[in-house]
Amino acid sequence: MTHLPYILASYGLATVIALTLSIGAALRLKKARMRLAVLERPSDRTTGATSSL
Amino acid sequence: MTRKTRRLWLVIACVACLGAAAALMLKAFSSDIVFFVTPSQVAASAPPADRTVRLGGMVVAGSVKREKRGETPIARFDVTDGQAAVTVRYEGILPDLFREGQSVVAVGSMHKDGFVASEVLAKHDETYMPKEVAEALKKSGKWDPRFGPPPSAASWNSMTVQDAKKGLPASNAPAAPAPAGN
Amino acid sequence: MSATPTLVARAGTFFHRYANPGRFLKLGARLQPWLTWPALLLTLAGLGWGLFFSPADWQQGDSVRIMYVHVPAAMLASAGYAGLAVCAVLSLVWRHPLADLAAVEIGPVGACITALCLATGSLWGKPMWGTWWVWDARLTSVLVLFFLYLGHIALIRAFDDPQRGYKAAAILALAGAVDLPVIKFSVQWWNTLHQPDSITLTGAPTMSSSMLWPLALSTLGFSLGFAAIVLARTRAAVMESRIRSLLSSPRRRAGNASGDAA
Repeated sequence: MTHLPYILASYGLATVIALTLSIGAALRLKKARMRLAVLERPSDRTTGATSSL
Repeated sequence: MTRKTRRLWLVIACVACLGAAAALMLKAFSSDIVFFVTPSQVAASAPPADRTVRLGGMVVAGSVKREKRGETPIARFDVTDGQAAVTVRYEGILPDLFREGQSVVAVGSMHKDGFVASEVLAKHDETYMPKEVAEALKKSGKWDPRFGPPPSAASWNSMTVQDAKKGLPASNAPAAPAPAGN
Repeated sequence: MSATPTLVARAGTFFHRYANPGRFLKLGARLQPWLTWPALLLTLAGLGWGLFFSPADWQQGDSVRIMYVHVPAAMLASAGYAGLAVCAVLSLVWRHPLADLAAVEIGPVGACITALCLATGSLWGKPMWGTWWVWDARLTSVLVLFFLYLGHIALIRAFDDPQRGYKAAAILALAGAVDLPVIKFSVQWWNTLHQPDSITLTGAPTMSSSMLWPLALSTLGFSLGFAAIVLARTRAAVMESRIRSLLSSPRRRAGNASGDAA
């Protein structure tokens, strides 16, 4: 392959950015869901939309 | 009119005004936004020798003369836009894509005996073609890259590498919609 | 213009159906896997095809493979900003609360993808054009887009009262949308070092279909991935805002759980 360093740098950069964004979003979602579950547990079972998640 | 409707029209009016202002501004600065000038523009009114200009155009087939002075290669070639041609002199290593028939942008200034470039950039066109297809087109005599852009894409863009290797002429390339197994 | 108010009102009702955070979370949770997994699959397929199986270009050689990253990134950089502009209209005209939350989340993702577009463009330009960067109309207008994203990210978080930040950022998003047609048409209006588009609505693509297919796959994959990440972040933001309101008013906890931001 010609120009291999440039190609590898491009694909590597894309991978790093995709992984950072998606893992960050997944962790944030998980944390928020867990905190919400803890907060909503004692009182309401019927009204919360998130309890069905 | 409800408040929402009024807000909607306000937003539309603001965007329209802003768009018009931007369009007028871009129009006014149009000559500064262009990245390069063409040989016919240079021929019509030559820029002063102390001003750096970027000259863009196609390298004329057969005009490239390469020599060497010590270690540095020197190249002379004509750049044309189809109406006028300007001779460019460049000391240094030309980019990989440089060839006859290729579009280039030469950065430099206009002198009495021609254009002296301090930098040459290669400009490629929007045609993406497998190497083998290009070879097949050249072999069949449908296209010589030195004399201009490739033939209309519809004639070859469904041609796969396998077709090209089999030596099928571009015009009978099978109209298979998707070379998915490539 | 007698039909306009009802149309505006009807559009407002339509958008507000999804303003209820509970309904949005339910819908979002159901939608999420349909975005995430196809995105992953299509991106891997497209990039793998592009990297290993698609042919090398006749003049650019293998460096043409950078296209399979660069073109989707460039398309999404513009599409993401168009998304910001849509959110801005929803926010300014209909005061849609979810549009503000989505705008906060689109900003950083869009800035990242614009940075990817600029970086891969540079990595492609060096071997092909012979330079990392030139100030031609296409490259400059995309750089302006990147700074617009950065400005949006900063502005929307700059105020103590989030509502003021939303409003200021929405105005910036709308004003900056002027840059989108400039990016799109820069290669036609002015002569640039960047080549014109290979794929247009009007003509046949000037690209071999053996390169077009992997490009289409990776573009679709990137787009779905962008949507998946923005959706996940917006869902998290809705949950976080509900957590904040639960924490700040523990007594009204039971009454708050449905529709506090509606």
